[in-house]
Parts: sequence; C-alpha cells; structure tokens
Amino acid sequence: MSWFVNTLGSSIGKKLMMAISGLSFCGFLVAHLAGNLFIYGGRDAFNSYATHLHSLGPLVTIAELGLLTLALIHVLTGATLFYENLQSRPQRYAVNKSAGGRTIGSATMPYTGAFLLLFVIFHLLNFHFVDKTHITIFDIVSKSFSHPAYVVFYVLAMIIAGLHVSHGLWSAFQTLGANHPKYMPIIMMLSLVFSLIVGIGFGFLPIYISLIA
Amino acid sequence: MHLDAKIPGGPLAEKWDRHKFELKLINPANKRKFEIIVVGTGLAGGSAAASLAELGYNVKSYCIQDTPRRAHSIAAQGGINASKNYQNDADSDRRLFYDTIKGGDFRAREANVYRLAQVSGNIIDQCVAQGVPFAREYGGLLANRSFGGAQVSRTFYARGQTGQQLLLGAYSALSRQIAAGKVQMFTRREMVDLVLVNGQARGIVVRNLITGDIETHTGDAVVLCTGGYANVFFLSTNAMACNVTASYRAYMKGAMFANPCFTQIHPTCIPVHGTYQSKLTLMSESLRNDGRVWVPKNAGDKRSPDQIPETERDYFLERKYPSFGNLVPRDVASRNAKEQCDQGKGVGETGLAVYLDFRDAINRDGKDVIAQKYGNLFQMYEKITADNPYEKPMMIYPAVHYTMGGLWVDYNLMSTIPGLFVLGEANFSDHGANRLGASALMQGLADGYFVIPYTIGGYFAGAKLPKVSADQTEFTIAAKEADIRTKRLLSINGKRTVDDIHRELGNILWNYCGMARNDAGLTKARTLIQSLRSEFWENVRVPGSDKDINQSLERAGRVADFLEFSELMVVDALTRRESCGGHFNEAFQTEENEARRDDENFCHVAAWEYAGEGKDPVFHKEPLVFENVKLTQRSYK
Amino acid sequence: MTKTINLTLKVWRQPSTESKGGFETYHASDISTDMSFLEMLDVVNEKLTMDGKEPIAFDHDCREGICGQCGSVVNGRAHGPEKGTTLCQLHMRHFSDGDTIAIEPFRARAFKVLKDLMVDRSALDKVIQAGGYVSVNTGGTPDANAIPISKEIADKAMDAAACIGCGACVAACPNASAMLFVSAKVSQLALLPQGRPEAARRVTAMVRTMDRMGFGNCSNERECEAECPKEISITNIARMNREFFKAGFFSAVK
Ligand SMILES: Cc1cc2nc3c(=O)[nH]c(=O)nc-3n(C[C@H](O)[C@H](O)[C@H](O)COP(=O)(O)OP(=O)(O)OC[C@H]3O[C@@H](n4cnc5c(N)ncnc54)[C@H](O)[C@@H]3O)c2cc1C
Ligand code: HEM
Ligand code: FES
Repeated sequence: MSWFVNTLGSSIGKKLMMAISGLSFCGFLVAHLAGNLFIYGGRDAFNSYATHLHSLGPLVTIAELGLLTLALIHVLTGATLFYENLQSRPQRYAVNKSAGGRTIGSATMPYTGAFLLLFVIFHLLNFHFVDKTHITIFDIVSKSFSHPAYVVFYVLAMIIAGLHVSHGLWSAFQTLGANHPKYMPIIMMLSLVFSLIVGIGFGFLPIYISLIA
Repeated sequence: MHLDAKIPGGPLAEKWDRHKFELKLINPANKRKFEIIVVGTGLAGGSAAASLAELGYNVKSYCIQDTPRRAHSIAAQGGINASKNYQNDADSDRRLFYDTIKGGDFRAREANVYRLAQVSGNIIDQCVAQGVPFAREYGGLLANRSFGGAQVSRTFYARGQTGQQLLLGAYSALSRQIAAGKVQMFTRREMVDLVLVNGQARGIVVRNLITGDIETHTGDAVVLCTGGYANVFFLSTNAMACNVTASYRAYMKGAMFANPCFTQIHPTCIPVHGTYQSKLTLMSESLRNDGRVWVPKNAGDKRSPDQIPETERDYFLERKYPSFGNLVPRDVASRNAKEQCDQGKGVGETGLAVYLDFRDAINRDGKDVIAQKYGNLFQMYEKITADNPYEKPMMIYPAVHYTMGGLWVDYNLMSTIPGLFVLGEANFSDHGANRLGASALMQGLADGYFVIPYTIGGYFAGAKLPKVSADQTEFTIAAKEADIRTKRLLSINGKRTVDDIHRELGNILWNYCGMARNDAGLTKARTLIQSLRSEFWENVRVPGSDKDINQSLERAGRVADFLEFSELMVVDALTRRESCGGHFNEAFQTEENEARRDDENFCHVAAWEYAGEGKDPVFHKEPLVFENVKLTQRSYK
Repeated sequence: MTKTINLTLKVWRQPSTESKGGFETYHASDISTDMSFLEMLDVVNEKLTMDGKEPIAFDHDCREGICGQCGSVVNGRAHGPEKGTTLCQLHMRHFSDGDTIAIEPFRARAFKVLKDLMVDRSALDKVIQAGGYVSVNTGGTPDANAIPISKEIADKAMDAAACIGCGACVAACPNASAMLFVSAKVSQLALLPQGRPEAARRVTAMVRTMDRMGFGNCSNERECEAECPKEISITNIARMNREFFKAGFFSAVK
C-alpha cells in the first residue's frame, strides 16, 4: 500500500483529496439546497421533508459518517496545505502585486475555508445537535432567524461559501486534470453560476424565514 | 611544426567509415577508467558529455551559467540543416557538402565537411527520439524550409526556437547522465587555464563564480566546447558571457589558433540605438524572403519613410543583384548596407540603419499571411523598438554574429596539444571563411554526438596516460598564476570600468576589422589595441573582492583576454592577402565589388602559434587540397 | 522617439546567502526609454563602480528572452509589469519619469539568494534530472519520420517545451510552487510518442523530487500562467495531474 500513501501524500495527491472531498461537498450542497427549498412550501412541507429524510434511518447515518470523513479529510488536508504553502516562502516580498491570475475567491481559500468550518460547527450545534422531541425543525429555524443578528451571520456565511466554491469548483476540475480548452470556459462559467446559486439560494432562506416569522 | 590533419585515405564518401573502422577501440569495461573533462554545455558540450558518459566514460562537465541549459546555443532561432532529402528536391550528402564548402568560400577541409553532411541525418533522428518537437506537416511528418538562400529545403526547425529545443534535448540527455552519476556537473565555473602534464592536456583551472575559489580539476583528456569569440566586438548577437578565455588560454599553452580573422556579420539585426547598448538582437534571416531593403536615394534625406515616394527610394540590393535581389548571402547584404550608410544614406536617428520594408508583401499577400510567417518576429521587433513593422518599415543593420575561426583541430577534432579536443564554434573546422545559415547547430551536434565519442577512444587507445593529481606542481603553479592574475586585476583600481574599455575595443574592431578591412586600418587597429591593452592594465577599475560573486571581475578577466586575442585577429587579417567570405580586404575585390580570392597563394588554413608574451605569433600553414570540388568564384548578379 | 526619465530604485542588497539583506535606494538619472531594464541596471552599476561602491549583482546572459537566466521581482511582479516578457526584454518606456521601482530577488524556500538579485535555481535542474528526459542513448534511433506525429500534438508539445526555466512561475506563485515548470516538461514528453514508454515513471519521479525540493503546493491561482514570459498554459498542470494519477493508481510504478 505504500504506493497509495506515496501517491496521496504527494503535493498533487493532497490536492486530489481536496478536490474529491470538495466536490462531494458541492454535491451535498446541491442536495441540501434542494431539501431546504421545501421551506418555501411552508411549515408542514418542510417538516414532512425532514421526517421523510430521517425515516431513511441507517442511510442517513452512513451519509453523515461519510460527510464527517470527507470533512476531516478536507479540513486536515487543507490545513496541511496552508501550512506547507506558508513555509515555502520564508522571506516574503516587500511589494506584492497580482499579475491577474488570482481572484478574491482563490486568494482567500484557507480563510473562507476556516470560516466555513466554524460556521458548520455552529450550524450543526444550532440545528442538528438539538433536542427535537418537543419542537419541529421548522420552529427551531424560524425561531433562530427571528434574531436579525442570526440572519446577518447566515447571509454572510453563505456569501463566503459562495466565494469558496467560486474558486473551489473549477479548481477541483483542474486538479483532477479536467482542463480542456473546449470545456474549461464552460466549467468556469459553471463555477460562477454555482457560487451564485449557493450564495443566493442559501442566503435568501434566512431572509425569507425572518420575513415570514 | 608540421600540421597533420590526419585525414584518412580513400574516396571522400568512405573516409569516415574507414576511419571509424581503423580507430582502436576501448574495451567497455576499461572506459570507466578514463575521466574526461568537457568544458561548455552548449550543443557541442552538452551532446559530447552525455554521449561520452553513455559509453561509460566518467565525465566532468563545466559551464559559466547557473545551469547547463542556458548555454548560448539556446538563442539560435532559424534551424538546423540535414541532408535527409525528405522534400524530394534532390538533396544529398554530396549537395550539403558542396553547399557548405562553397558557402565557406573554399576555405574548409573537404573531409571534415563531408563527414558533417554524412552524420547530419543522424542528428535529426537522435533529436526526434529525445522528444525535440520539430515543426511538422498535417500528415505528421517533419516540415522543412529553405534557409539562407539554399536551393533545397533541408532546414529542420522548431518555431523560432530551434537552438533552444536542440539544446534542451542535449541537456535532457546530460541530465540523465548526471542522475546516473556518470557526469559530475560543475555549474558557475569559468575555466581560466589549461594544465598540461608531459605535454598532454590533463586538467583545467576554474574559478568558482560563487565562492571565488580557484579550483583545479584533473582528467585524462580535455574537451573544449566553449563557443565563439564574437563578443570581442563588445556588441554582437552573442550572449553576454561568451568569451575567448578558454580558447585563448589553450592557445597560450600551445594549441594553435586557426583563421581568427574569419568572423561573420549578420545583415538583419536591430540597429544600435545608444552608447548604453549592451548587445544586439538578431532578426531571422527569413525576413529577407519578403522584406525589401532600401534607403533614400539622396544622402541626408530625413523624411519619414512614408513621405519618401517610390522614385526617391533605392532598393540597392535589387538594383545591384537583379537575380538574387534581397536574398544575397549574409556578407554581401551586410557590406552593401554599410556602404549605403557610409554614403550618408543611412536612416533612423543614428543614420546607421537601412529599411526592410514589408509594405509590398502586405499589399500582395495580405496582412494575415505576413503575420503568420513573421508574426513573432514582428512582435519581438516591436517590443524592442516600439515601432510597428506592419505600418512602418523595419530598420536593420548588420551585427557581428558568429566566428568561423577557432582552435585548430585535426580530423579527430584534436588540437595541436595531445588530449585537448575542441568542438563546436570553438574550433575552426567546418565553415571555412563563411558559415551558411543553420549549419552551426548541425556542426555542434555532429561533433558532440557523432564524432568525439569515436575519436577520443582512438586517442586513449594510443596514448600513455600516467596518473596525475591536483597536488602536482603543474596544477599548483597554474592555480597560483590564476590567483595572481585575479588579484592583479582587483588591485589596479583605476578610472575606467571594464565595460568602458571593452566598448572601446569593440569600436576599434568594428571600424577596422569588421565588414570591410584595409591595411591602413588594420595596422592602425593593432597599435590602438596595444595602447588600449596597456591602459587596461593601468587604469581599469574592478570593484569588490575575489572571495565571492564578483561579476565585474569575471568580465575583467574576459576582456583582458579579448585585448590579447584581438591583436591576433588583426595580425591574421593583415596576413591573409585576399578577400574571402567574412574576411573582406578592400584591396582585394573584383570590379563588381565582390571578394576576390587568391587560390594560388591563400588556399590554406592560417594556424597561429603562441610565441610568448610580447612576441609576434608564429604563422603555420595547413594547405587545403580540393580533390572533389572545383573552386569557383561566387556571383550573385 | 527617445526620451530620458529619472527614477528612484529600491534594490534588495544582500552580500551572501547567510547575511541579512535589505533595501538600498539609488537614483537612476537620464535613463533613455529605449534601454532595456538590464541596461538601466548596467548604467546604475557603472555609476556605483565609479563611486567606489559594489555594483548590484544580477543574473543575465542572452538578453533576448530565451536563456531564462535573468529575472527579478519588479514592483511585485516577476520580470516586471509587461505580459509575456522577460526582464531583459522589458524596456524602460514602460516606466514614467519620477517612478519609484522596487527590485527584489525571486523568493522561494527552494531558491536561495546568492547575492543581491541572484538566486540559486538548481532545484529546477534536480527535477529534470529525476526524469525530464527520454532514456535513449546516442545512436541507434529510428529514422526521424518513422513515427508520424499529428501537427496538433507536435504543436502542443512545442507550446510546453517553450519553457525557458527562468523560475518566474515559482516566484509569482503565492505558494512558491513549481508546478508550471514541472508540468511543462512532463507534458511535452507525455504528449509525444517518444516519451510515452516511460511516462509513468517520469511523472512520479519528477513530482516526488519537486516535493522534496521544498516548493509549495499548487492552489490553481494561475499567477504562474499570467506571469510566465513564454505564456505557458496551466492546461499542462492538468495534464501532469492526469499523468500522475494514472501512474499512481493504474501503473506498475510504486
Ligand atoms: C542569435 C543567434 C542565432 C543563431 N541562429 C542559428 C541558427 O539558426 N542555426 C545555426 O545553425 N546556428 C545559429 N547560430 C549559431 C549557433 O547558435 C552557435 O554557433 C552554436 O550554438 C555554438 O554552440 P557551442 O556548443 O559551440 O557553444 P555555446 O552554445 O556558445 O556554448 C558555450 C558553452 O561553454 C561555456 N563556456 C564558455 N567559456 C567558458 C569558460 N571560460 N569556462 C567554462 N565554461 C565556458 C558556456 O557556459 C557554454 O556552456 C546562432 C547564433 C546566434 C548568436
Ligand atoms: C461547504 C463546505 C465546503 C465546500 C463545498 C468546499 C469545497 C472546496 C473545493 C471544491 C475545493 C477545491 C479543491 C481543489 O482545488 O482541488 C476546496 C478547496 C479548499 N478548501 Fe474547501 N470546501 C468546503 C469547506 C471547507 C472547510 C470547512 C475548510 C477548512 C478548513 C476548507 C478549506 C479549503 C482549503 C484551504 C482549500 C484550498 C486548498 C488548496 O487549493 O490549496 N474548505 N474546497
Ligand atoms: S537574459 Fe536570457 S532570458 Fe533574460
């Protein structure tokens, strides 16, 4: 198995893990967003979606464990890369100027990433690891978003998530080697659209809930 | 001393085969007992070091740059010739041989040139196998173009970066041998002396350009691949580090220097634009396929080119050479441009330029076609001059480009010092008095890949090579001398910088030993060089120390040798009482102002022997025997 | 038309690898706008020499943008502000009278400063030595036209092979990664049939050596591509990644 460790342990291998875990998250985000759209159906629609989801039982647990593993991989590898990259230029430049390659998204990956980690923990503590025996998920959510600070924080987090995937999505394709002059412009466009969907799609939810609450 | 070129017997086409068979072989297991010093990692040195290591020899390789991949060969643009006859246009070894001999104005050795043509095809095979991305046709086969006025399409190319790609091929082969431990690579080292033991070349002295240390290295043979000396002119198309030091030091140790006055001036370079200028940039010769060269008819006409009507333009090459027109050989085109400028018809701010106009070609073929052919050259031109050649004619002027002269070598590429081999532009062997386009790359790689691997074995098989060590007096004395010289340069602390003196030397040579020479000028140049040399040793300022990186000191050492060598060039030019190829003495020209050779008295190689400091060099002659070609006068009318 | 400008230079001076460096300020006056950047430095150096000071050490050789020996970071940009241009081909007409120009060496853990603006880029050679070649000895190769190669592939290989090994990609990369350099060589040889037989071995060895040399990781920030004087594309990085995964997961190479 040393070949496996060698391959994944290399610089490109680490990026492979980032790309696969990151892309999986993107997939998860799509599913998560689709589910969340039930909110627009009102309290009952959303609650029945939640019940439905939980009735899947062990499948949910498996998915959760999978996500947790991917999260560990993504976060730990991301942290390693960040640390290594810092080390690779011990003496910094006095003047820094971009030649036009980087974007806000690409330049802030580790920071938006770190923020997302904190957000996810917060988010899970808020809506996942709570006692739901006496209260429906819809009520938890709408109660939370009746605080304006919550809304602002969530909207901000979603913009940051959008920023993270605006670079992350196409970058993952590039890492996986999927760069072809014919398709790369499409992938770039897709990244942009996806980041807007994430930002606006998720971002509008708290606003909507706070409005109806 | 008798100069024996060791040309094998037999018919021309069989000499090389026969010689290879007659050379004694070294048992493969014994090859690893020999250590070979290869100085230089250009096409010649890179290919030689790699090929010798592949055979099993232990190789030590040296270069001035920070990596072997940056040798000056990297800058060659146009292409490399080979007699593959892929285009079915009746090319052959014999034709390539003949073109090269004739192009060299019948001042090269038949046997060497024929061998060059014979191995030219192998070079292309080798390079393709290494992954050199030559240009190809849609069908997947290799593309060729005709170059430098050749009548056949035999030039292989990789965009405008042929030298780069060939060198990277050789560098990759070298890298493989470095990884295999067969080549020990010494970068940022400058050879400052050659060490002889019992009359054999057994080592070198180098300066470590990082630490400043003077190091000695031993070997069983020394292979010099240190390139040409065009930088003696200060301004040339050569890279900044090109120098004559290695060759000149070998010359001082007894290697003869052949034909030093054979230098080539390239007609299409970007003109000089100020005294601060550090080097000249070549624009590919191919531009003359479509560009028309002209100057205003009236001297002193300072109107901008678009204001000068057709009737007041002088397309002087087309006028004087109706059949070849703008495609006359390099030396003819260069001399004519100079002549126009001397008459006050030169254009641009300095008056030292002529127009190369694409207006008619653009009108005829359209801008797109021209852009496809020359787009990258036009871009390069615009980058440097800020003028757009699509709208305004280019300005060009001749510049020193290549040196045909070099250390004398025999058929085995061995100099007059046993065990000292010389390859590539550093030797004099194949181009006679003038080199054809795309044949320097061919020669460098032929020497390195396909000649030295055989001939060096022949030397080892016949030579007695007792063990030497760097503690021996020959080495310690040479190192001491190098150290003294360095310290002396640093101690002068005068009032002129190295570049300042180098620039003056360049001017002297350009004016009196350049495109057109005459006895009065050459004689004057000699005295000027002598006094400049004395001034150098009294008034140069070299800052810094010898114990770390000191680029001024590096340049000072090179200029000191240029100051010695330039006199040899002038002496050679004075001695050759004829005009041929790159050497044009105004006293020897035809009525049509063409070079007039004197085959009766000067059909020879002039080989110069060092006689000691302050003494005139000793002349030796290697007669050139032509059994296979008829000597003709060139005519491009 | 030629004109002259005056500039203030802030140049990184560092006597040796071990010593601590710092910026020094110099005035460059009457600089012709036709000069190249290196010629401007020549002028400054001539003056420093005559003033009894040590000239600025900087690497250069061909001065026509092909050898890859020159290169510094000028106002935060490797090889200066012009796209697709090496420092030696950058002309002073791109600066204005009164400009202040900061000049620093290429910086990366893998590139040690030797003196002033000169750095040690031998790590790049080490990567090539690990496998940037086709293992053929001199002689015994088939005829050059024995294997047809489509023009498209040959052109792509040439695009990658145009790399001059200057190290600007490393200098410009926020992570000091050498992926563009390494991928250019891997790509060139992976595209050509001559390079295929040892493609797996090559890419594995080169990537591992690259990692060992202390370069950073690629974050696909594309600064390398934007700064490369030969405008080498990051499609080569994608190709190298593909080759690397193929080699790592599906070849016999361990
Ligand atoms: C702009 C330009 C374009 C050209 N285009 C073409 C073309 O299209 N076709 C063609 O056939 N020819 C062309 N030529 C000519 C050709 O490039 C050269 O003649 C050829 O590359 C010389 O190769 P070389 O190996 O002999 O020497 P070089 O490539 O000059 O290598 C010399 C080597 O020796 C080393 N060295 C030198 N002195 C010392 C020393 N004292 N100590 C240690 N090391 C030393 C250097 O570091 C270097 O590694 C061109 C030349 C120029 C200038
Ligand atoms: C919803 C959550 C997340 C999604 C969808 C996501 C997605 C992605 C994607 C697709 C990539 C690109 C991989 C590549 O370039 O090959 C990426 C990179 C990265 N992610 Fe995330 N990520 C998420 C959360 C996080 C978290 C919590 C962290 C935190 C610590 C993080 C840190 C990073 C870093 C540092 C990178 C850049 C790695 C590099 O290129 O060097 N991400 N992410
Ligand atoms: S000096 Fe050669 S690329 Fe700039």
